[in-house]
Amino acid sequence: MDFGFVELSADDRLLQQEIREFLAELFTPDVFALEHETGSGFNAKVYEALGARGWLYPTLPVEQGGAGFTALQNRIMELELDRQDARVMMMKGTSSLPMAAIRKYMPAEIADPILKECAAGRAVVCLGYSEPDGGSDIANAKVRAVQDGEMWAINGSKMWTTGAHISTYTFLITRTDPEAPKHKGITMFLVPLHSEGVTIQAIRTFSGERTNIVFYEDVQVHDSMRIGGINNGWTVLHGPLDEEHSIGLDSNGGLTDVSVGVGFSRVLGASINEVAQWALKTTSADGKSMAEDTRVLERLGSAMVDYEAGISTPGPMGRVKASDGLVKQAAQLQDLVGPVGLLPMNAEGGIGVGDIEYAHRFAQGTATYGGTVEVFRTIIAQHVLGLPKAQLPGAKVFIAGKKK
Amino acid sequence: MDLVELRRHDYALDEISQEVLVAFGDFFRDQCPSSLVRESQPVGFSQELWDRLVEMGTTTMGLPESVGGDGAGMVELALVAEEFGRAIAPVPYIEHVVTSRALARANNPALAQIIAAAADGSRILALASAPVMPGAKQLIPAGAIARDVLAMVGDALVLYSVDTPPAHVPNQGSTPLAWWDLFSMPNRTVVATGEDALAIYTRAHDERMVLTASALVGLTEYALGLTVEFTKTRETMGVLISTLQGVAFPLTDIATNIAGARNIARKAAWFLDFDPETRPELPAIALVYAAQTATQGTQQAAHLQGGLGFTVENDISMYFLRSKGWGSLAGDPTAHLAAIGKHVLSSVN
Repeated sequence: MDFGFVELSADDRLLQQEIREFLAELFTPDVFALEHETGSGFNAKVYEALGARGWLYPTLPVEQGGAGFTALQNRIMELELDRQDARVMMMKGTSSLPMAAIRKYMPAEIADPILKECAAGRAVVCLGYSEPDGGSDIANAKVRAVQDGEMWAINGSKMWTTGAHISTYTFLITRTDPEAPKHKGITMFLVPLHSEGVTIQAIRTFSGERTNIVFYEDVQVHDSMRIGGINNGWTVLHGPLDEEHSIGLDSNGGLTDVSVGVGFSRVLGASINEVAQWALKTTSADGKSMAEDTRVLERLGSAMVDYEAGISTPGPMGRVKASDGLVKQAAQLQDLVGPVGLLPMNAEGGIGVGDIEYAHRFAQGTATYGGTVEVFRTIIAQHVLGLPKAQLPGAKVFIAGKKK
Repeated sequence: MDLVELRRHDYALDEISQEVLVAFGDFFRDQCPSSLVRESQPVGFSQELWDRLVEMGTTTMGLPESVGGDGAGMVELALVAEEFGRAIAPVPYIEHVVTSRALARANNPALAQIIAAAADGSRILALASAPVMPGAKQLIPAGAIARDVLAMVGDALVLYSVDTPPAHVPNQGSTPLAWWDLFSMPNRTVVATGEDALAIYTRAHDERMVLTASALVGLTEYALGLTVEFTKTRETMGVLISTLQGVAFPLTDIATNIAGARNIARKAAWFLDFDPETRPELPAIALVYAAQTATQGTQQAAHLQGGLGFTVENDISMYFLRSKGWGSLAGDPTAHLAAIGKHVLSSVN
């Protein structure tokens, strides 16, 4: 066990300083303003500036567009990015999942140039998983891909394709064999989003984040853009999905957060800081400092307990805990400060930078995206507690006709 | 607070810690079946188990080498506490260990004999939760079996000793609680005064919170296991109840809370060992979260067994009753919340 400060070599200390100064200069007010306005989780200037130094995916070797960072150097980078703004960096995280599949399953001559563009910050890959009539049951995909010689024709629509409007490619789940059991009839493609027949429509969420519905109308995709074998999509997906559901399980000498939900908890942490600062400079009607009000102290204490729980609960369980804790505490902190907690960033008389107001809206999405907390509870039930699986009509069937 | 400190989050146990965990897990499983817990009610003490625990070196492991101990840290003691909690063992492990460590920390030659007697287990020690006041009797955890109670009196830390402990008071958690009228007790030894006294008492109180948190983690985990097994064999309307989300999801929430509470308690123990100044609020966070986890967890675990979970005959009843019976000994969680809130304010100031 070790929770101590990481001791940095002289070189790493210099690197940390260099990164901190570089990011402080890069994350100008217009970056935050643009993100606030668009909710894209992306900023071309930031991505390309990081990419030019190999710092967008810095653990990649230099020849692949990275900077050959060690795990520790990468941790330094991630924390410094979080110090600035995690929201803008969302699509970096999203792209990293399909990038792993591209590297593993596409031939090098196709994969390498694409991965280089991603590393340079010029290309982004979004996830074409969910569909309008089905949410987390992504293996139930209905978007059709039909082969004709070297080309595939793709038809259907995808929902919740966050980042589609700023992405170069989408990592698309398609149905290639409608007769096979559902996990055995899907194939993955990397579809260029500028292709003819692709239409992207914005969906606005009340966290401010933009997501999309994407329509595919007879979109022609070359067979070279197929990722992995035909009808072998579930295997291809699994690598990145496992990564999405279990980031942090490998403790890595304590350089990785143990909780999948640590990002949610940091939003709670920012609210706690903002409420604490508010309490220290606010006086109640009877002239007493809010910092001495038991109600304030207890509420801050309670929020702090859930913050600590969110960052300390391991793996997928941490995702559920961090989301639940944020949902509960964001509402309570807003109640605590009263109506000023409803004022957004830059409002007259608002608190701090509007973290409290933002947290309550943001919190609600955390219970859904990346798989709802109910999906995760199902995973925990089966994989942590070893409970038997419910036999549901649409559940995974590998051998037709097999019953429990 | 700084949300992005470059600290390690390494929860991996080293080899020695793993051995401690396994050894005490085996010990309590072999030596403390639930039948022994039942037989030891209502006092909640088994002299036989205590003697075996002493033989295991439990009463010396946490003492410094200077007084003949093994110098184990809070991390190891917390691991023992998890296993102790899992067995809801009828022995005063937490009270005795934190109080004897406090006496050793005082470095006071007048205490040598009592520390030696605590180390060989022949004399059981306990810690008062509140300062000594005239006319205010206190319920002392382990007070019905302890001969010495450590308490703050003004700015002094004082050890009160008796030849025969006061009578046991039956209580919900079947723990050896007893009323001590410390103010009027004549036999007292001043352990420390001034800043030293407060520092030693605060540390002992922090250690008790952390060890109680760890014990509640083990306790809740065992209760969860009982109910998980129950739901795997119990059917309703032709399906196993564990396949129903209304049953499975509450169970996953208990497991989730346990996993987090365990990590926080172990982390709080680590900070007490290696960096006690930086996160003074962690012991309280560990206790509050573990107490919540235990209260809700054992309630749900008992409830998910339906009426059967409500019966005295079912072992889960003993776990449910002790979740409060142990959890409330280290203070009201809401009072701890305010203290945690104060630390939050000082961290942004």
